[in-house]
Amino acid sequence: MNSQSSVVSHQLVPEKQRAGQIATKDTLIGKRIPKLDAPEKATGLARYIEDMKLPRMLYGKILFADRPHARIVNIDTAAAKAMRGVRAVITAADIELVPFGFGQDNTALKKDKVTCTRDEVAAVAADTPQIAAEAVSRIRVTYEDLPVVASTDEALAEGAPVIHAKTPDNVPFQFDYSHGDIEQGIRESDVILEDTYTLGRQAHCCLGTSGIIAHFEADGRLTLHSLTQVPFLYKNDLARIIGVAPEKIRIIQPPIGGGFGSKLDIHPFEPICVFLARATSRPVRLCFTREEEFRATPTRQPMVIHLKSGVRKDGTFTFRDVRMLLDNGGRTSWGATTPWISMRTFSSLYRVPHVRQHVDVVYTNNIYACAFRGYGNPQATFALESQVDSLAEVLDMDPLELRLKNAQKPGETTGQGMVLGTCGLADCLETATQHAGWGKKRRNVKTSKRQNVAAPNQPDRTSFSRDPMGSASTDLSSHRHIAHGIGMASLFHVGGGAKIYRSDGCGTILKLDDFGGVTVMTGSSEIGQGSETVIAQIVAEELGLSISNIRVINNDTELTPWDVGVHASRTTFIAGNSALRAARDARRKLINAAAARLKRKPDDLDLRGGKVVERSSGEPLESIGKIIRGLHFGRTKNELVMTTDFYEPPSTAPDKEQKGDISACYAFGTHVAEVEVDLETGVVKVLRICATHDVGRVINRLGIEGQVEGGIAQGIGYCLAEELKVEGGRVCNPSFTDYKLFSTTDLPELDVSFVETNDPAGPHGAKGIGESPLIPVAPAIANAIYNATGVRMTELPLTPERVLAKLKEAREKETISD
Amino acid sequence: MPLEQSDRYLAPHTVQEATQDAAGQGAAVLAGGTDLLPRWSKGVVKQPDALVSLKDVEGINGIARINGEVRVGALATMSEIASDPIIRDAAPVLANAAGRIACPQVRNRATIGGNLCNASPAADTAVPLILLDAVLDIAAWNGSSLTAREVPVTKFFKGPGATVLAPGELLTHIRFKPLAAGAYAAWDKFGTRPAMEIAVASVGVAVRLDGGTIVHARVGYGSVAPVPMRGRKAEVALMDRPLSAETIERCQAAARDEIAPITDVRASEGYRRDVVAVMLGRLLRNVES
Amino acid sequence: MSLVELAFVVNGESVTLSVPPFATLLDVLRDDLELTGTKYGCGEGECGACSVILDGKVVNACLVPALECEGAEVLTIEGLAFGGKMHPLQQAFVDHGAIQCGFCTPGMIMAAYALLEANPSPTEEDVKRGLEGNLCRCTGYRKIVDAVLSFAGGGA
Ligand SMILES: Cc1cc2nc3c(=O)[nH]c(=O)nc-3n(C[C@H](O)[C@H](O)[C@H](O)COP(=O)(O)OP(=O)(O)OC[C@H]3O[C@@H](n4cnc5c(N)ncnc54)[C@H](O)[C@@H]3O)c2cc1C
Ligand code: FES
Ligand code: FES
Repeated sequence: MNSQSSVVSHQLVPEKQRAGQIATKDTLIGKRIPKLDAPEKATGLARYIEDMKLPRMLYGKILFADRPHARIVNIDTAAAKAMRGVRAVITAADIELVPFGFGQDNTALKKDKVTCTRDEVAAVAADTPQIAAEAVSRIRVTYEDLPVVASTDEALAEGAPVIHAKTPDNVPFQFDYSHGDIEQGIRESDVILEDTYTLGRQAHCCLGTSGIIAHFEADGRLTLHSLTQVPFLYKNDLARIIGVAPEKIRIIQPPIGGGFGSKLDIHPFEPICVFLARATSRPVRLCFTREEEFRATPTRQPMVIHLKSGVRKDGTFTFRDVRMLLDNGGRTSWGATTPWISMRTFSSLYRVPHVRQHVDVVYTNNIYACAFRGYGNPQATFALESQVDSLAEVLDMDPLELRLKNAQKPGETTGQGMVLGTCGLADCLETATQHAGWGKKRRNVKTSKRQNVAAPNQPDRTSFSRDPMGSASTDLSSHRHIAHGIGMASLFHVGGGAKIYRSDGCGTILKLDDFGGVTVMTGSSEIGQGSETVIAQIVAEELGLSISNIRVINNDTELTPWDVGVHASRTTFIAGNSALRAARDARRKLINAAAARLKRKPDDLDLRGGKVVERSSGEPLESIGKIIRGLHFGRTKNELVMTTDFYEPPSTAPDKEQKGDISACYAFGTHVAEVEVDLETGVVKVLRICATHDVGRVINRLGIEGQVEGGIAQGIGYCLAEELKVEGGRVCNPSFTDYKLFSTTDLPELDVSFVETNDPAGPHGAKGIGESPLIPVAPAIANAIYNATGVRMTELPLTPERVLAKLKEAREKETISD
Repeated sequence: MPLEQSDRYLAPHTVQEATQDAAGQGAAVLAGGTDLLPRWSKGVVKQPDALVSLKDVEGINGIARINGEVRVGALATMSEIASDPIIRDAAPVLANAAGRIACPQVRNRATIGGNLCNASPAADTAVPLILLDAVLDIAAWNGSSLTAREVPVTKFFKGPGATVLAPGELLTHIRFKPLAAGAYAAWDKFGTRPAMEIAVASVGVAVRLDGGTIVHARVGYGSVAPVPMRGRKAEVALMDRPLSAETIERCQAAARDEIAPITDVRASEGYRRDVVAVMLGRLLRNVES
Repeated sequence: MSLVELAFVVNGESVTLSVPPFATLLDVLRDDLELTGTKYGCGEGECGACSVILDGKVVNACLVPALECEGAEVLTIEGLAFGGKMHPLQQAFVDHGAIQCGFCTPGMIMAAYALLEANPSPTEEDVKRGLEGNLCRCTGYRKIVDAVLSFAGGGA
């Protein structure tokens, strides 16, 4: 089944670690369950947003500013309006401008001024997409260009142009966090390192582009076919922008062609589509082309992280001082808030008594950023785990040992107030390195004669002797130009939701029909991550039914109960818990009814294989359908089996100092990367990644492996190739031709394993996993590159050109010092 | 107002009809369409008034050996060229390049004629054809009869997107002599990813040694000048010399010197020079072994 | 705008319709024939989401002018399943967890189909090369490659 060259192995937990829940023989938990929606997707029958047509539907198209900073002098829509087939042309003058977004600095269409190229200036609804496109090209906008602020440096310079009048210093947000006392930490340190890391813009590149259909009903209700990941918050926020009462808005979510955080915010195209529908009294669909997707959807937050940390000679971490500078672009989406998550990694991946973080968020005329799988954590982890590697080297310590020494342990409360009920970090470190052959490979590396590829990257810093751990062979006469290396990185992330909103809950409505068919209405959306299947599994398990008996409805706010949305890797945990509790109620009802009917004690009964069985022997006593019908059509009393649940996790919102136990549990993991570096071209090839994650408990093995493998792929892309380049405010590579995604031929060997810590708070012990696998990939690879070449890469992505430049720089230094 | 759309779609059956149609006002020739379609659909260029599809034109497809020459029809696709036994035997370097263009989907449509006429500096079949001293057969309708001329591949390109073809002229065939026995020809392209990469730079070399001395040398580069280019200085550095480390170094230096790369979103000028030198070195060292 | 008549065979059925000269095969499949299983991911040959089989060869429907298909046979994802039963290759994708958001899936399956038609027992390397033109943002490809290999290795 698996190919010979690639082993996908699964670490099972030692028996002693398994608490409570001993699985019955035919449990569904931990099995490889194909996704419920896979058949309709495999056959091409799933209808994504751009596959949907409503009667009399029009096609919307937006005119983007395409200039980074300008005053709008005049918009002439006459020629567009005159075209046959054009049904509406709207500009800011036609709508009420309600500010929205985290910075309240965005509006659906822009009135006086544009502050980035993707600013929406006008929009058209027409009979066909072609007519709409042509009409947009005939709108004439007169601009008065303003000086472009192309970087944070320019934005912070004396006398810089002001981008938003209400923010004269171009710094809309500053965030501070601290615990302990940095000065004390500095005094206690034997070694202090200081580095700057630069993180680029990664685009989500959902394979299905963004889109929406807006449709007003006769009674003024609005139906939106929307790809949002947060339907209930969205409804609420959108209501204000479009002037429709929230209770009159229905959100239906068609299958989505990828999310990864991109659908967490309200994007201007969404209210614009509603305005077009209102202007035409017809349904309007607005879908992006790939180029629009690149130009006009937010990216991962770019940032510069300045990190200073200290350690004692024995390897104990002393302090960490972080400064982050965020290029916020011309408007604010969620990107500005990503440091809230970054800081949790700095404060809590390891035990550190003194931590301080200062963040400046700076307006520029660049495009802006939103949430993206990992939410500020990949950036933080790259900086932190790169520097931990440097510290290990200065201390002459194995990076594994240094990490183990400082790793958080179960039961600890981190400096930021997060309570680690379970914590598998040490197990992850050990498992991943064992799978990777860490000791052996690094020993080999050590004993091999170091050839002069590069000088130490920071020769001027602390003068511990630098162990020649790099392996490289650049014997030019024999033209061996490949260097091998191995590196690791770990991660810390929320695993049980994140209480950043007043509620982090999820509701479930569960009903059984007369025959044992179950409909589960859950608030949590399916965005390809497989939550639907996990929920079905949990319910089927509880009710002793086959998974094919379960139907999950998760895409219509008219039917489903409230949920805060798909983010923070929360769905398995929160929605899973809610579904589990609703199913337990139903189960209790069934068991009690069966006990009464069969004159047995409830404790003696169990539900298995669609039957009520005797718990001890497994002997079937009655079909579940019969029990249900007995309740429904009873002689004396008539009942249906319907249950509801709202699960609010036992987490607390962060206090003013950003401290608190924001998640019900926390996820950990370690990746070990093995790479090959071409010393003459700078090309880095990832040979193998061993990834171990503390997932609490594996519910759907097939699904969770898929999440890990997919996260690794996105992580490799983030590390080595993906960057949406912006120059002078303009996007330079808005296509897959020049924005290169990882493809089949880049696929490295993967070794995916799990540590099961059985978190008591999780459904069947499970924690969230969605975001984790992407987080440590880049630093693991960068550390492997260092191991291979002695060159420390600090700017993502690590393109061949950047790697070669560093290699050359190092060689030059070497020659000079010779 | 209706959309501006091409009024006509023409599917001629002979070269003569095709040249006549192609000479029409605002006509564009369509082969595989892999270069043309993305540009139209993105609005980079305007859709032409008439589309002249070559798909039914007889006599300009297929691959044959004629009079000691290999003759490749302009409509031969990259998939065909990559797997064709005649090409694999007579010019494996061309088969290799064709097989590394894009992906199966594109290779099944993309034609060699389109690759050349599109005149991208990154056209992957151009460099191997330079190594092979290929000539291109061009047909045109002069108003009363069909005319033909031939142009060496090195003279075909005028600049990015520009060739010597006059409006209405059609590339019909590409001809070259099989590699001489004992000759060695190799080509490589450099992209930052293994798949689906338009070359950041590409390099090809063909050499024949006689008694340890290089008696024939061809060098070609892609993506490092406005057109796919022949490396005359690099050839001079090789000719009449042994294939030694020193010769290779001289050749690399000549290559760095004669190419004229630009900095763009894919790579910088300097990096392109480095990569060309590295690839050239590797190709030449492979000859030795 | 003038329309041109196009007659071809799609998933075994003859189809005749009038199309504008610049319509792509993708436009015609999706808009005129409502065969929306073939996806638009980029419109420029870079993602493979629109892969279909044209006269036995896999192509990007977004790069093929519809009129070039006169008299041709086209097979789309909708033409694989038969009588309510998935094609074994589709089943392999489902069983191996090769589908997440599913947007790349139809194109991926068509490319794999073409690959297996041409080479019924591919190596892992063959599969990777055969699918190099199909992007997937969700799965990281491992399970897709496994699904195709499993099918090759004696699946139905
Ligand atoms: C995703 C993708 C990846 C690609 N990767 C590569 C790559 O790696 N390397 C590479 O070299 N190319 C690549 N290309 C470009 C393209 O596929 C090739 O250049 C292809 O060979 C063009 O051939 P065609 O038949 O499709 O040309 P068309 O698009 O039909 O035509 C291209 C141009 O040539 C003209 N033309 C075509 N045939 C003739 C003729 N016989 N006489 C006169 N004029 C003619 C046309 O009018 C047009 O101007 C890629 C394209 C895509 C979409
Ligand atoms: S849509 Fe055709 S290849 Fe992307
Ligand atoms: S499954 Fe989402 S793109 Fe492949």
